[in-house]
Amino acid sequence: MTAQNLQQMGTTAPLAASSPGGSIYDLGYRHYDGPRRGRSWAMWSLFVESFRSVWGFGRPMTAKAAPFILTGLYALPALFQLAFSSVISQEMTNGSGPQPELLAYHSYFSMFYFLVFFFCVAQAPELVCRDQRYRVLPLYFTRSLGRLEYALARLASLAAALFLVLMVPCVALFIGDILMKPDTFKAIGDELPKALPAFPANGLIALGLAAISLTVSSFSPRRAYSAIALVAYVLLAEAVPAAVFAIGQSSDWSWTDKLFLVMPISSLDGATNWFFGKALQPGRFTGSLTAEEYAIAALISVVLFTTVLLFRYRRVPA
Amino acid sequence: MAMALIETSGLSKHFGQVKALERLDLAVEPGIIGLVGANGAGKSTLLKILLGLLTPTSGRASVLGMDSVRETRGIRQVVGYMPEHDCLPPDVGATEFVTHMARISGLPRTAARERTAEVLRHVGLYEERYRQIGGYSTGMKQRVKLAQALVHDPKVLLLDEPTNGLDPSGREEMLDLIKRTGTEFGITVVVASHLLGEIEQVCTYLLAIDAGHLLSAAPISHFTQRTPVLAVEVEEGADRLVAALAAKGVRARQDGSRVLVAIESDALYDMVRDSVADLALPLVRMQQERGRLEDLFRDASATASPGAAMVTGSPQ
Repeated sequence: MTAQNLQQMGTTAPLAASSPGGSIYDLGYRHYDGPRRGRSWAMWSLFVESFRSVWGFGRPMTAKAAPFILTGLYALPALFQLAFSSVISQEMTNGSGPQPELLAYHSYFSMFYFLVFFFCVAQAPELVCRDQRYRVLPLYFTRSLGRLEYALARLASLAAALFLVLMVPCVALFIGDILMKPDTFKAIGDELPKALPAFPANGLIALGLAAISLTVSSFSPRRAYSAIALVAYVLLAEAVPAAVFAIGQSSDWSWTDKLFLVMPISSLDGATNWFFGKALQPGRFTGSLTAEEYAIAALISVVLFTTVLLFRYRRVPA
Repeated sequence: MAMALIETSGLSKHFGQVKALERLDLAVEPGIIGLVGANGAGKSTLLKILLGLLTPTSGRASVLGMDSVRETRGIRQVVGYMPEHDCLPPDVGATEFVTHMARISGLPRTAARERTAEVLRHVGLYEERYRQIGGYSTGMKQRVKLAQALVHDPKVLLLDEPTNGLDPSGREEMLDLIKRTGTEFGITVVVASHLLGEIEQVCTYLLAIDAGHLLSAAPISHFTQRTPVLAVEVEEGADRLVAALAAKGVRARQDGSRVLVAIESDALYDMVRDSVADLALPLVRMQQERGRLEDLFRDASATASPGAAMVTGSPQ
């Protein structure tokens, strides 16, 4: 306790407070005349709070389970490869037996995207449904924070969390690739340019998934309904174009593969290949679309869903 | 003359066919202001317009000279709002929640923590403040709601039905808290309530609205210091006494076995005594009554809009 505090106690603390609710600790009310920050501080504060709540910090242990388990599962294959990197490198140098096929940056999301999507289903409703359900929104909107700023801060925090989830296996792959090489410093120089596109690629995936999942979730105050709606939307948006394409193949329609551009996850996947400068894997992608077209489609979907989210928050009852 | 803290002129708000507020003109000075009216009278709508949550259909409103539509951000920095409904997430502790709200209000990290500790102590939350809000009683939740409205040290506090759902002792404590906040801290408090008895206890100024119209606006002393009333209780013949007094030009009204007489001059006491003696009525007691707000209110609403569901009684 500082001398100033002691002095304040000495001068203002009424030992027997006049009011019945008073107690020996009652120092009286002091006005606040420190700095008051504006909108950007409010947005930053909400961003930090949202980021913490995505990971379940400041919440009971049960809230931490889903995000951490899903992140761990998504990174598991890459961590596995990292753990056995010395064995793998021996195999490769010996040249005995078939060459092992290694996990690659550009196709990792393609293989394990469902775990990231589960992360969205579990955590996106948490961010937007709670405040609607428990009617906390009026408390935000009567402060420095406007409706649009609220939505943007929430979106940014989910995107940041997803970016982290997506980057963990990439970092594991990077370290594993370096450890497999005999000359570590040369390996860093060789591997880094190959790994760097992971930043923009995962950034786009994170933004795309965050925009879709927050927007769909924000339409219901109930977590469960939001999660179901999100799963239903993504399943339909992935399945319907594929079905139409299948019909189109037999009916000789040439335009049906353009519908693939509305697929939320596939377009992000295709965009990833564009960032890494890879051709689309034929087993995963059918039709005549290029990786570039998928990248553009993914960008448009980010803008579109963010716009819908902002419109939703203009009208959401407070 | 103090500056008007809250001003409205020709303020109207219509929701489709429903006219929540209709050409409301107000000028509120610092103090504890009671905003009374039945449910649906337009109290919450008025508060929400002042906060910029709703845009008026016509007319304008201002808080501390700032326009409610154009200078919303300025208003929000100096206003604290406690909504009528539940507004607390159940899965965080009071300390964490109020600190978060303090930061959203623009307080830096350390200041937010200190102010939170201070207001939670002020509203009377001690050990419980680290527990999750979901496990709180209604009274504790109301205290947290008040704390989040106070945490950024506002100049004006807008409280919408702060005693909702509280038991009598909880209600007394909340009213005491409001009174202390208003008088000791120099914060202007607007208390919206449908319980006139509460307003009477804590407020210095009264605004009564009904169906979106202003019924009356005056310092509370104006109501309590108005023409005193003499209650004359007789075992029988109250109606004859009223008639006799009316014949002498005295304003009197029968209220069950009692006769309420407006004391307009000192000679009145003698006049009443003589009338009772002349009629040979069995007199039980004569008693001067403090003008109770409720009586006045019943009169006002009866003349303004007969049929309107008016303010219910005091909490006791």
